[in-house]
Amino acid sequence: MKRDAGFVLSAIFLIVIFVLVAFGSLIAPYSATEFSPSSSLLPPQFPFIFGTDEFGRDVFSRILSGASFTLLPALAAAALGVSLGTITGLVAGYLGGRGDEIIMRLMDVLLSFPALILAMLIVVMLGGNVVNVVLAIGVVFWPRSARLVRSAAMDIALSEFIDAARARGESTLYILIRELLPNLWAFIIVDFALRCSYGILLTASLSYLGIGVHPPTPAWGLMVKDAQQYIQFAPWLVFFPCLAIALISICTVLFGEYIRRQLATPTRIARA
Amino acid sequence: MQAIELILRRVVLMIVILFAVSFLTFLIVHVLPGDVANAILGDLATPDQVELVRQRMGLNEPVLLRYWHWVTAFASGDFGMSLAYNTPIAPLVFERLANSVILALISLAVAVPISVALGVLAAMYQGSIIDRIITGTVVLFFALPEYVVALMLILIFSIWLGWLPGSSLIPPGGSVLANFPAIVLPVTVVTVGMLAYLSQVTRASMVAALRANYVRTADLKGLPGYIVVVKHALRNAMLPALVEIGLNFGYTLGGLVIVETVFSYAGIGQLLMMAVQSRDIPTIQAVVIVIAAAYGIGNLIADVISIALNPKLRT
Amino acid sequence: MSQQATLTVEHLSVSYDAGDTPLRAVRDVSFSIAPGEAYGLIGESGSGKTTVAFAMMNYLRGGRIEGGRILLQGQPIQDLPKSELRQIRGNKVAMVYQDPMSSLNPGIRVGEQIAEALRYHGIADRAGARARAVRLLADVNLPDPEAMVDRYPHQLSGGQQQRIVIAMALACEPDLVIMDEPTTGLDVTTEAVILDLIRELRHKINASILFISHNIAVVAKVCDRVGVLYAGELVEEGRVAEVIRRPKHPYTVGLVASMPSGTDRSQRLASIKGSLPDLTKVPQGCIFADRCLISRDVCLAERPPAIEVGPAHISRCLFPDEAQDVIQKAEARVVAPARAAGPAETVMHIDDLKLWYTRRRGLRVWHKPQPVRAVNGVTLDIEAGRTLAVVGESGSGKSTLARCVVGLVPPTGGAIEFHGERLGGRARQRGVKTRQRIQIIFQNPESALNPQRTVGEIIARPLKLYNCVEPSRIDERVAELMKAVNLPARYASRYPHQLSGGEKQRVSIARVLGTEPDLIICDEPTSALDISVQAAVLNALSDLQARHGLSYMFISHDLGVVRYISDRVAVMYLGVVVETGPTEAVFKAPHHPYTESLVAALPDLSGNGEKPEVRLQGTPPSPTARIKGCVFASRCPRKVGAICETTPPPVQNLADGRKLACHIPVDELARLQGAVPAVAVG
Repeated sequence: MKRDAGFVLSAIFLIVIFVLVAFGSLIAPYSATEFSPSSSLLPPQFPFIFGTDEFGRDVFSRILSGASFTLLPALAAAALGVSLGTITGLVAGYLGGRGDEIIMRLMDVLLSFPALILAMLIVVMLGGNVVNVVLAIGVVFWPRSARLVRSAAMDIALSEFIDAARARGESTLYILIRELLPNLWAFIIVDFALRCSYGILLTASLSYLGIGVHPPTPAWGLMVKDAQQYIQFAPWLVFFPCLAIALISICTVLFGEYIRRQLATPTRIARA
Repeated sequence: MQAIELILRRVVLMIVILFAVSFLTFLIVHVLPGDVANAILGDLATPDQVELVRQRMGLNEPVLLRYWHWVTAFASGDFGMSLAYNTPIAPLVFERLANSVILALISLAVAVPISVALGVLAAMYQGSIIDRIITGTVVLFFALPEYVVALMLILIFSIWLGWLPGSSLIPPGGSVLANFPAIVLPVTVVTVGMLAYLSQVTRASMVAALRANYVRTADLKGLPGYIVVVKHALRNAMLPALVEIGLNFGYTLGGLVIVETVFSYAGIGQLLMMAVQSRDIPTIQAVVIVIAAAYGIGNLIADVISIALNPKLRT
Repeated sequence: MSQQATLTVEHLSVSYDAGDTPLRAVRDVSFSIAPGEAYGLIGESGSGKTTVAFAMMNYLRGGRIEGGRILLQGQPIQDLPKSELRQIRGNKVAMVYQDPMSSLNPGIRVGEQIAEALRYHGIADRAGARARAVRLLADVNLPDPEAMVDRYPHQLSGGQQQRIVIAMALACEPDLVIMDEPTTGLDVTTEAVILDLIRELRHKINASILFISHNIAVVAKVCDRVGVLYAGELVEEGRVAEVIRRPKHPYTVGLVASMPSGTDRSQRLASIKGSLPDLTKVPQGCIFADRCLISRDVCLAERPPAIEVGPAHISRCLFPDEAQDVIQKAEARVVAPARAAGPAETVMHIDDLKLWYTRRRGLRVWHKPQPVRAVNGVTLDIEAGRTLAVVGESGSGKSTLARCVVGLVPPTGGAIEFHGERLGGRARQRGVKTRQRIQIIFQNPESALNPQRTVGEIIARPLKLYNCVEPSRIDERVAELMKAVNLPARYASRYPHQLSGGEKQRVSIARVLGTEPDLIICDEPTSALDISVQAAVLNALSDLQARHGLSYMFISHDLGVVRYISDRVAVMYLGVVVETGPTEAVFKAPHHPYTESLVAALPDLSGNGEKPEVRLQGTPPSPTARIKGCVFASRCPRKVGAICETTPPPVQNLADGRKLACHIPVDELARLQGAVPAVAVG
């Protein structure tokens, strides 16, 4: 396996991030929510390396504590969406015919909403909390994963080993789980990796719109939104959360791309 | 003949799906746990207030009946009254939609030629330093949320350099095009988002085309390189790319919520945000469906283009 | 040397990058082609034949010419700059490709694809190029060339597409035409027509031909001389007839002997043991030594020189006169099982079986779709311990028939009886015992085995499913089965991708053997394999039949294989059996006009043009067409009149157990075909 620098860097960074998610609020030097009016709107300086906000909260501490608010919902939503999508896609792709038609038209209905709009609608109607954010993004991912798994499953369902199993008289459940599914793991893992990075983007976008999270939660998107009014004289308030979001999402995208390349391109030797 | 039939089928399918979309939207709004009246009034409402709202909005009728009333009114252009603005929703939505479409079309016009050029370039020099730079940059921008790009651009071009306005407030009745500088930054943000995706799509289909046997045939006919690339590879590669562009148009309309919010641009996305903040449920419903319809029409246009260009469907 | 050769290749070596060490695909290959000569280059997959073909154009994706020279009319081309190469490509050297569908641009009209080369090489202007394109289409015998130039490739049949590719190659009147497997992938009857065309054009045009093929019989038909390529080396070269009749290299001997059409069915096919050497580590000695049955120590020491073994006949073997011995020494030369004559018990009776299906195309607004009549009333018997071959071209419905028999698709009409008991349509509706006794082997070894399972798991699965043996004995039974198909026991823990094509097909066979079936449906089991590997698989099938008294239903498009393996044959066309009977009788004197053209299309090693050349023109009707009369009427060279179009032909029963469906009485057919008339009964 050839490793490129981008992969190594993003892997290291992701490990750091996961440590932050787990222990972020413990590592943070200051409280993420406590006001200290005496030190409000300080530019980056020691000991407030990322500066402070209008309530005197340490931006660095808030970013550390907020990592989990962006990452955990994204991961959970990706897991939910990919699981739903895998089951739906597997069944639709293998069954084919009318059942497939019905399932995929239903998926098309979900796909007719732009991702962010559907997520917004669901969270707004269900009520703004983290669980509903996860649910909403999971529903958004569902048809997208289902399509992918379905087309892969359809390809594999054409294989003669599936015909062989059917001719042997294996049950549909056996064929789905023991013959088809093992050949789909590569697609599913790649899809999950990419959904994680989209999930981070979506969660961050929702929290920027103030949907699903409420102050004083140190969610990064929300921090950016609140800081926007101070952009003129306290740009660090906008800059550092943006940087955090950018870094983490770039790393997950790179990581996902790397996994995709590893699993999608079989090592073939050119031979005439 | 075959092509017309295909297009007709797509149109019928789109109408069916739009009905389903409207129904699903209605369900999400009215059936999911969480009472509409509560959602409108907020958590502090008294039971009396809730009941009043329920009666005024006809919420005590059966769901299907309500859907029927609502969808027939909707189809005849009566989107209901906005709770926040206290005006009919339809004119409001269409005025905002027009602004959003202008923004999306300008961005598309900028993004398509650039991304096709970048994609073709990257594909032709696949694996080279040019390819790596293009692909790398593109992935970078793809990974950035739009508001991050937008705010960084505002920081640089509006606050530090002072070249462009940081918000796109357009005076009521003023045309978007007359306020051109105001939309440069939003167009840039949307374009960057599109570029990332479209250039990757172009690159992928161009790479596939360049590997195809018919390109080898063209090469071995002794044709000049540019003929091979443009006439033989690009022509076939553009088909899948065009479909993606059509799909992207709808996607962009959905993504405009963020850009319009950042720049206070009076588009449909901003309207949605305001409706969400003021719990203006009838408006939310109308906007979501209009956006889904626009999305559907974008897909339809993409389908029609691809059917029209597909040589296999010509006679 | 009065004339300069059109093409001279001197010590050509080509390598591909493959990880750390380069893959040396072609090494020290030399040959030359005289003006107007057709030179064949034959080899199996991995022999480097396609690499040689593309090297002639200096077009190697991912590969490079490591050494040697390629001289086109004396001018070296391997170091030419791009601009000069461009003037040669398409102009002086042109190419005909293996897969015409993918080699033609789907978005450009075929006329323009021919004309553009003429324009860019400055041979004709726009109008002139178009006119010439029309003439070229007429030259390759395409009907209505004026209209044809404006077609898109997808509107043409495979055979027509290949004619377009040939016309494209001839456009600039090149000195050399390279044909890379030009008929592989085409149906037998289409292949015959294309080969006729190539032979005809040879006399019209003044070009030399480099003809690449894996099929020695095809090469024999069009070429003057032949070179045999093995693992990137030219091991033998000579006049075609000479090389086929008196091969002087053990590899060539094996290749010729493994051709089923060249072998009497009482003999075993000679297969070549082992597999291709790893070309990233080319051995020092003879490249074939590790698979050669007559190799000795001296063969391993150094590479044999090219030895002159006859007039214009060279071989890279140190013992050319012993080469023929490999046949005697071939693997386990048990005598092929003697076949009992006379009637046998019927295992399966297929009665008027129909399988129609409708292509679902979503909303159909203004016309009701016609069903595809994939199998349209087939009646057949399969006898115990014998092999019934079902032969036909693509679209004949033979594979659908096989899928129906094993219960993958339920029939729309008719019945299948197995040992007198009527079978359910789907496998799951049949009893465990029945399922166990009817097994199927598929065509494509790459897809017949689940890539995520080990060989052991794959073979064990049916044993577990049907409780064939006690759970504790499964491993033991798997080992037995692997031994039965000559697979080493250590393969049990391997995954399919670690096996060669022939080995995978043996795993498939072992998998079905475990259930101790009565009847095995073999759906083109060897068509994805190289000839020498095919021979091994066919031998294995024959042995198992003799040992276990198995019955086979053998689906194939390859008449050579069918003639070798089967006792009875049924010929299918468009979902219908047009002729059936004892294999030898049918092949010796095919009566149905379709069978007649199939057999005539089969290139064999005996030489050219002895047989009456019946050729099929046109393409089969659409599978959704409603045909009232004889399915073959639209292409039949012996059509008698309107009756063929309007009335289904009667079935004629002949004395030797043959049946054929034709309006022409069999005596009349026999007279037309110049064969001994068979006696009709009833």
